[in-house]
Amino acid sequence: MSDPSGAASFAALDQPLPDPPALLTHRTGMLVVENLVVRYGPITAVRGVSIEVGAGETVALLGPNGAGKTSIVSAVIGLVPSTGRVSFDGRDVSGLSPEERVRAAMTVVPEGRRVFANLTVAENLRLGGFVRRRERDQDAERDRYLAMFPVLRERLDQLAGTLSGGEQQMLAIARAMMSKPRLLILDEPSLGLAPRIVARIFEHIVELKKSGITIVLVEQNMMQALAVADRAYVLSTGSIRHAGPAAELRADPRLADLAIGGH
Amino acid sequence: MTTSQSSAAPAPTDRSMPPLLRSVLGGLVVAVPVVVIGVLILWLAPPYQVRIAFAGYVNLVIVVGLQIFMGNANIGNFGHSAFVGVGAYFVAILATPLAAKKLSIPNAPFGLSQVVLDPIVAAVVALGIVGVLALLTGFIISRLSGIAASIVTLSLLIISHGVFINYTDLFKGAQAFFGIPVVIGLPTAIAVAVAAIVVARVFRDSQDGVQLRASADDVLAARAFGVNVVRLRFKAWVLSALVCGSAGIMYAYFMGAVIARAFFFQQVFLTLAMLILGGMRTVSGAVVGCAILSIGLEAIRSLESGATIMGVQLPEMLGLSGLSLGAVIVLGMAFRPNGIMGRLELDELAAGWLRRLRRS
Amino acid sequence: MDYAIQQIVNALAFGSEYALLALGLALVFSIMGLVNFAHGEIIAVAGYSVFFAVALGLQSVLGAVTIAIVMGIVTALVFERVAFRPVRYAPTTTGLLTAFGVSIVVQNMLTLFVSPKARAVPVLGPLNQTFFIGPYAVSSLQLLELAVTIVAIVALVLFLNRSLLGLAIRAAARDFSTVRLMGVKANRVIATGFALSGFLAGVVSVFILARRGSVEPDFGSAPVIKAFVACVLGGFGSLAGAAVGGMVLGFLDVAILVALPQKFGGLRDALTYFLVGVVLFWRPQGLLGRTVELGDKEV
Repeated sequence: MSDPSGAASFAALDQPLPDPPALLTHRTGMLVVENLVVRYGPITAVRGVSIEVGAGETVALLGPNGAGKTSIVSAVIGLVPSTGRVSFDGRDVSGLSPEERVRAAMTVVPEGRRVFANLTVAENLRLGGFVRRRERDQDAERDRYLAMFPVLRERLDQLAGTLSGGEQQMLAIARAMMSKPRLLILDEPSLGLAPRIVARIFEHIVELKKSGITIVLVEQNMMQALAVADRAYVLSTGSIRHAGPAAELRADPRLADLAIGGH
Repeated sequence: MTTSQSSAAPAPTDRSMPPLLRSVLGGLVVAVPVVVIGVLILWLAPPYQVRIAFAGYVNLVIVVGLQIFMGNANIGNFGHSAFVGVGAYFVAILATPLAAKKLSIPNAPFGLSQVVLDPIVAAVVALGIVGVLALLTGFIISRLSGIAASIVTLSLLIISHGVFINYTDLFKGAQAFFGIPVVIGLPTAIAVAVAAIVVARVFRDSQDGVQLRASADDVLAARAFGVNVVRLRFKAWVLSALVCGSAGIMYAYFMGAVIARAFFFQQVFLTLAMLILGGMRTVSGAVVGCAILSIGLEAIRSLESGATIMGVQLPEMLGLSGLSLGAVIVLGMAFRPNGIMGRLELDELAAGWLRRLRRS
Repeated sequence: MDYAIQQIVNALAFGSEYALLALGLALVFSIMGLVNFAHGEIIAVAGYSVFFAVALGLQSVLGAVTIAIVMGIVTALVFERVAFRPVRYAPTTTGLLTAFGVSIVVQNMLTLFVSPKARAVPVLGPLNQTFFIGPYAVSSLQLLELAVTIVAIVALVLFLNRSLLGLAIRAAARDFSTVRLMGVKANRVIATGFALSGFLAGVVSVFILARRGSVEPDFGSAPVIKAFVACVLGGFGSLAGAAVGGMVLGFLDVAILVALPQKFGGLRDALTYFLVGVVLFWRPQGLLGRTVELGDKEV
């Protein structure tokens, strides 16, 4: 690929900005982001982005490096300051700290996995269930995800830092699911993983999708993401350039050249 | 990505100027307030205040020296007072007239009790000794990073102090070593301070300085670019030591007496506070931090001994100066975590304002 | 032979105290990267609290110990809330200087509002008895120090490995922001770390008080420097390293005390720090530290 990030090709989409993506017919999306702006000092990483994700939907946020996708995720979960509104299940969470948002059943699987390398797999999972620690079915929940990711069961007492990239990704997802979230945000799950492993991970994402959870999938790997998502937004340099149902975007000839990793 | 202001490199005020000249001029600009204050004090202040000011200038040179290493290599340094002490003690040993020296160190080794050198020669020799010590210790410290390096500098401080106190034949132990010829006044101190500032600035802006600062942030990336981090740290360490040693020499030649206690934790922490408060990334930070704390401390100290404000006699309040110093530090760090000056030198800031004024 | 055993007990006692001190520092550093120079002042305030309690009529040893420990915890939490929270996400030097500032403020407040001189606090005398096991003279205080240190370390290890909050603290030592993504309040993790550190400081202040029988403004500062060095010696940021570093430093101190001829007595500190420097040059990551090659993937 002479243009791995697809940045130049995305420029082909730089026609006059389309009308803002049509809001869904149901007014109360599970996650509604209105006019999000994220600044780091003099640099504006996210320029007034509005996104809506309906309950049970899987929505992809696509775009090359530097498009602002991870900044959006950080702002949605509250780790970086931002202006604009973030609503979750009808409730304005803009003023809540990250911990409070997680307690409200939003959760993020961060970019790069970020498993706790000095803790074992079991300890990672246990910490993932922190917000549900008073509930009695923690063990049942854990078994459910160990069944979904059998390799984790084998490595239960191993330090998470010694796991392979794919195993860490599975651990990160299982850990996030331990908090019984209603919204799961996955930040670049395919990053740094071999194609075969990526395919497996995405199979698991489909499994999760089938269980009814709302998913926001941030990805550079467009083809994999579009295969799994219902709708997608395409971002470039902090703004939404294109949006629509996944099927439409899949068929768009302009985007066919931009497949990263998928052939 | 467009940025409205560049905070990485100084925007050159004049692209045709060679970098060295630009640095020297920048250093001189930073030194201007130092000179102005000094001249005002010489002109207006009574002798005892000149004395206090001199101490402030000694601290300034120390803090600037500290900045050369700490500000560029980003490694906490507790050992700089060792070099101050070595500089001070060796001019004491070498330049004190025989009569006074016999009272202090009659049993000095290598026949030093019989030797008297001209003050300038003594200063050069002392500086040489500081240099040798810097080379030896620098060899070790430049190979360490982060907290291990900081602890070794702490070791240096404690070892040097231990030697000063215990090697009484040469250093006279815990007592004051007096009788040093008083050959320096405030004007010389100001000149030395200006020289130190310019040297620090030239180093900071030099290729070595820039590379060292970059490598302090990411050693692996720096090495990948072929930057020899160890050599750069070594350079900064030796330069820093020489500047601090000069401060010690200045101190000895003005006070006429030195004592081991002066080169221990109190000096270390005071100068560290000055540097971190002012902002360790820049030479201006060193100057600003020193100015604020020196002036502030003096003002408070006069209150401490029971000043009379508007006819009301205040009681003696021992500990007030320390209390205020601590409070200033805590509040300063809460509001300006990177120090007052941040990343830009005074002249770079000024140039930025001028450019923005011109644009509007 | 008796002399050797005496000295070994000495070394163990010193080592225990350093270990507790170093653990207090390491806890706070590992969670939030703060070099808490004010740790000594937590110890001092705990000591002064006992002084005040005695002045108000307290007579029991147990009461004094309780007050020291409770005030240790309270002081640590107050420091965190007032001074360290604003600089929580600032670089290490900022935190270091803030801690140093707090230390100066507190020491001077004690000088200003109590007294610059030492004040007697005899209440803990009963802890410091000498009794005989066979031919050996043993100090009850030293045995107590050793016993308490062992118990404290075991309790700490259990807490960090079994309890959920302990897991969060260990995780926070590596990756603070991701711990927040687990829904664990940052404030709770940090406050717990400080509370534990304050607890340890309170215990140490009991020992120092029992040994000295008096308090003065710089009650805690000298030990803290040693504790700092012990941490680095053992591997900075690692709790096991702090404990080991403390023990090693204790043994080093006593070994030098024993081996050094009397006339060089003043060089004791210098020699200790020289040896520490040598160890660090040979093993910069500390005795228990991991060698992290630049560019290593995290383990």
